Amino acid sequence: MSSATIGRRSRFSRIPTSIVVVAVILAVIVAMALFAPWLAPTDPNHQSLLSRLRPPGYARGAMTYWFGTDNLGRDVLSRVIYGARASLAVAALSVLVSTIVGVSLGMVAGWFRGWTEILIMRLVDIMMSIPAILLAVLTVAVLGPGFVKLVLVLGLTRWPRYTRVAFGQTLQVANLPFIKASELAGAGAARILFRHVLPNIAGPVLIVATAEFGLMILMEAGLSFLGLGIQPPAPSWGSIMSVGREYVERAWWIVAFPGAFLFLLVFSVNVLGDWLRDHLDPRSRNR
Amino acid sequence: MLRYATNRLIQAVIAIFGVLTIVFVVMHLSGDPTLLLVPQGASPEMIAELRHQLGFDQPIFVQYLEYLKGLAHFDFGMSVVQRAPAIDIVMSRLPYTIELAAGALVVAIGVGIPVGILMATRRGGFLERLLAAFVLTGQSIPTFLSGILLIFVFAVKLRWLPTSGIGGWQALVMPSIALGAISMSTFARMVRISMLDELGKDYVRAGLARGLSLGSVVFRHVLRNASIPVITIAALEIGNLLAGAVIIETVFAWPGIGQLAIQSIQSRDFLVVQVIVLLISFTYIATSVLADVVYVVVDPRIRLAR
Amino acid sequence: MQEEPETASAGIHGRKKKEKGNMLKRLVTASALALTLAAPAAHAQAAKDTLTIDLPQDAATLDPQLQWNTDSYTIYRNIFDNLVTRDSSGKIVPQIATAWKYTDDKTIDFTIRSDVKFQDGSKLTADDVAFSIKRIIDPKFKSPQLSQFDQIADAEVVSPTEVKVTTKSPYPALLAQLVKLSIVPKAYVEKVGDQQFNAKPIGSGPYALVNWQHGIQTTLKANPDYWGKKPEFKSVVFRAVPDVSTRIADLRTGKADLITEVPPDQAINLKGASGLKILSVPTERVGYLYINAQGGPTKDLKVRQAIAYAIDKQGLVDSLLQGYGKPVSILGAEPVFGYTDKVKGYPFDPDKAKALLKEAGAEGAKLEFLTSPAYDQTQVQAIQQMLNDVGFNTQIVMLDQATFLKRRQGDAADAGSVAIGRWSCACQDADGIIFPLFHTGSTWAKYSNPKFDALVEDARSTLDKAKRMDDYSKAYEILREDVPGIGLYQVYAIYGASSHLQWKPTANESMFVDRMSWK
Repeated sequence: MSSATIGRRSRFSRIPTSIVVVAVILAVIVAMALFAPWLAPTDPNHQSLLSRLRPPGYARGAMTYWFGTDNLGRDVLSRVIYGARASLAVAALSVLVSTIVGVSLGMVAGWFRGWTEILIMRLVDIMMSIPAILLAVLTVAVLGPGFVKLVLVLGLTRWPRYTRVAFGQTLQVANLPFIKASELAGAGAARILFRHVLPNIAGPVLIVATAEFGLMILMEAGLSFLGLGIQPPAPSWGSIMSVGREYVERAWWIVAFPGAFLFLLVFSVNVLGDWLRDHLDPRSRNR
Repeated sequence: MLRYATNRLIQAVIAIFGVLTIVFVVMHLSGDPTLLLVPQGASPEMIAELRHQLGFDQPIFVQYLEYLKGLAHFDFGMSVVQRAPAIDIVMSRLPYTIELAAGALVVAIGVGIPVGILMATRRGGFLERLLAAFVLTGQSIPTFLSGILLIFVFAVKLRWLPTSGIGGWQALVMPSIALGAISMSTFARMVRISMLDELGKDYVRAGLARGLSLGSVVFRHVLRNASIPVITIAALEIGNLLAGAVIIETVFAWPGIGQLAIQSIQSRDFLVVQVIVLLISFTYIATSVLADVVYVVVDPRIRLAR
Repeated sequence: MQEEPETASAGIHGRKKKEKGNMLKRLVTASALALTLAAPAAHAQAAKDTLTIDLPQDAATLDPQLQWNTDSYTIYRNIFDNLVTRDSSGKIVPQIATAWKYTDDKTIDFTIRSDVKFQDGSKLTADDVAFSIKRIIDPKFKSPQLSQFDQIADAEVVSPTEVKVTTKSPYPALLAQLVKLSIVPKAYVEKVGDQQFNAKPIGSGPYALVNWQHGIQTTLKANPDYWGKKPEFKSVVFRAVPDVSTRIADLRTGKADLITEVPPDQAINLKGASGLKILSVPTERVGYLYINAQGGPTKDLKVRQAIAYAIDKQGLVDSLLQGYGKPVSILGAEPVFGYTDKVKGYPFDPDKAKALLKEAGAEGAKLEFLTSPAYDQTQVQAIQQMLNDVGFNTQIVMLDQATFLKRRQGDAADAGSVAIGRWSCACQDADGIIFPLFHTGSTWAKYSNPKFDALVEDARSTLDKAKRMDDYSKAYEILREDVPGIGLYQVYAIYGASSHLQWKPTANESMFVDRMSWK
């Protein structure tokens, strides 16, 4: 055996089994989201008023409802598969929005200081002191619910966290010699910020983003649960559970399956996030 | 020090003001409650008359000034839905949310801290992995799901606890657990990290070398030093708890201000919403200012990035 | 309530009590405020003294004239009396008024009882009746209910037992509306002011207010000096439980004896449960589908007709309502004056619907289905599917209730294409249904037909019953031709109750606790 192979083997043995398991779970759920039209046995919105609230394993004609049917006779399995899209898409996009807005504002505040900093950081205070849920309810009251609005609401309530991190990091990086050098050489602020500052603060920002991703999944589910997120009949695990709650005694499967998947998704994201953080952040503790 | 504190205070007041204005504008943009108050058969003239009587036909700027004028006299206005002072309505429901938050904090601290300590002191063992999984589970279950499951198992099936609402300490158990679960994870992790930090320090090794047991080192010195970041986290978690209370109060029919907030937004009871938002943001800002100040006071080594 | 502090302290502070004595008592009383308010209300008792009822919301106000919402109404109707009321068969019968006489088309003389006392001991006279009426029709009072009584011009005291009520024009629905006007004590209201009256209301009804824990529950106790039949339950507690699964769980565990607003799916479940029963009654409330005749693709009559043919009313009633409902051909139900079964509706005929769509060139037409969480989303989605099955492209637009009302009652262009609703005027008269829904100029009407207007205007300004029935028959015919909306089903109210509770719910959804008993 060559030394190259030995080297590769030892690197793989450093990844604990738990991480592998969790990564597989995450991969499955991502696959559910990406390949939903091919994986789902039937149209998730197809109602069958004669087959309402049937238990898992119920078969009618050529169709077997592996996860049972909901209150309109729709296949719970198909809805769960399509529901993965809502959870992942909303979480990913809202983290993207928060990151872009938050990091930009943080860098600007940290670079220009003075009034810009005061203005931006006070805005951060204001935004952080309104609970996200209340802001979401308010926004929905004014603008109505919907996928895009949900992403914007979630993105725009969480950006302050990124701003704080980006601000603090920018302050530290701003004094580094090579940054000072570019400044003296006449480089414009935008160029410095995006080409030099940004790569250096990416680490801590990524740490925040991984933590936020799991939280965004939970928030989307919570808002859909309250009826403020993804609108029926479009499936979202939160909204399916919201309806299923009324039927939890008679048809536990409507809550159980989306709930299990939601839990598995968030759990996996959190475990992976922790592990990534341990490797990215030299200051945190390893297992 | 004093200058710093007053500075923060002024900034806090500005922040509260900003919150108030944003919420006021957003709420008024969504329309007024007149249509929600009248019987279905009301004629357009009746609706317009009531709208005028309640003052909603005035331009938004005028309404805003009226509101500020009232605030200057500590008059928070009358709820148009309940025809009672908004402040009274909110204050009558506040104790329930405080009770819930206290219960959740008890769960979070009472479970989180011991778990965090154990995880730090029993590193690498089976117990640590078990507790780590436990902590992760607490962080990954959505609050409404744990609420639904708890109700289903302990109230409906086992009949050990009441299904909903307030009613003595039994009714407080499930909502506290559901609400405290995520905070519990945060505390556990925080305590673990901060203890690991401390345990690696020289004075610990010195103490152990002198023959002190791990337990006494932990209790006498490590905990005290590790508690500083925990205190600041606790202050900030209160804000998170208030936010999570909204969902928990809905699931458990707990008549606190979270439930009141949602109901008031839906019924366009502006003034009640304003009071609640004022209260929550005041609490959040106060606790974060307090946390900052405590942090600086307690650990003189920390200098702020100014 | 006296027994609560001891119960709370026994359960929570029992041990410490022995050790600390007086100082603890003070501590207990102070801290007991939050906890005693939270202590369990009704304990299991041998004879049933206290009835516990779960409602979706707490009362917004207990002043009967300050709000218009069902749950406040349910509670305060037990505290106050009205001039007239409806018996369990729906007929208008005397209550405070013993007799009435029309002296002309616009004037009616009421003779009132002389043996009625308010709960503070003062006597109820014509002064109070006139005061109550004048109070609610005064625009400065800002009563949201004003529109129900705006046809009343004045109320005059003729003698301590006679009141003369005048209307602006002949108003056939006057008595039906007076069923909802509660009599408040003039002296007390003037003495304590409106705000205090709302906090501590006093009426002449069978129950008096004991305690109102806002957002949680309202406790009433039987009025020992009530002039009428003494109520069987010594006290009644109305609890606010917004969540339906929680209400059902409360009923199962015995925490509640009666719960309201039970969805049909859960009713089926509860029917078989031991110790419980379902009480159901056909009401005056009608489930309907509104169709925008002035905006969007539904402007075309053929499109509206296609919608009507696409809906399987019997299917809805059978599968979604589990039989708790009855399909109707018009926008009205039997208990409603003006109801006619002569007007045939549109049968379920999807092929005809598809053909009509083709004729109108509207295949794939985009329909906006406006709705809010206040409406049954299962029905919304089922109807959406029915519409899409015949070729429409229906989008559900979920709004919150306030925004929904704003759009629905605003410009026709912004009012969506269809929406469902469950309409009741609580007056059992067609005037309260089709006039506000379809008369030109009404906020709800996205439709205008002068012939229809003339008919319903005539029906509301004559006291001749036969003429009114004729007007309404013709009006319903016009509605059938123009299809600005279709009646779907008569709503059956569904209540969950302990099997010991004896009560006959009424078609106007009233809840008089003094008409209930326990076996």
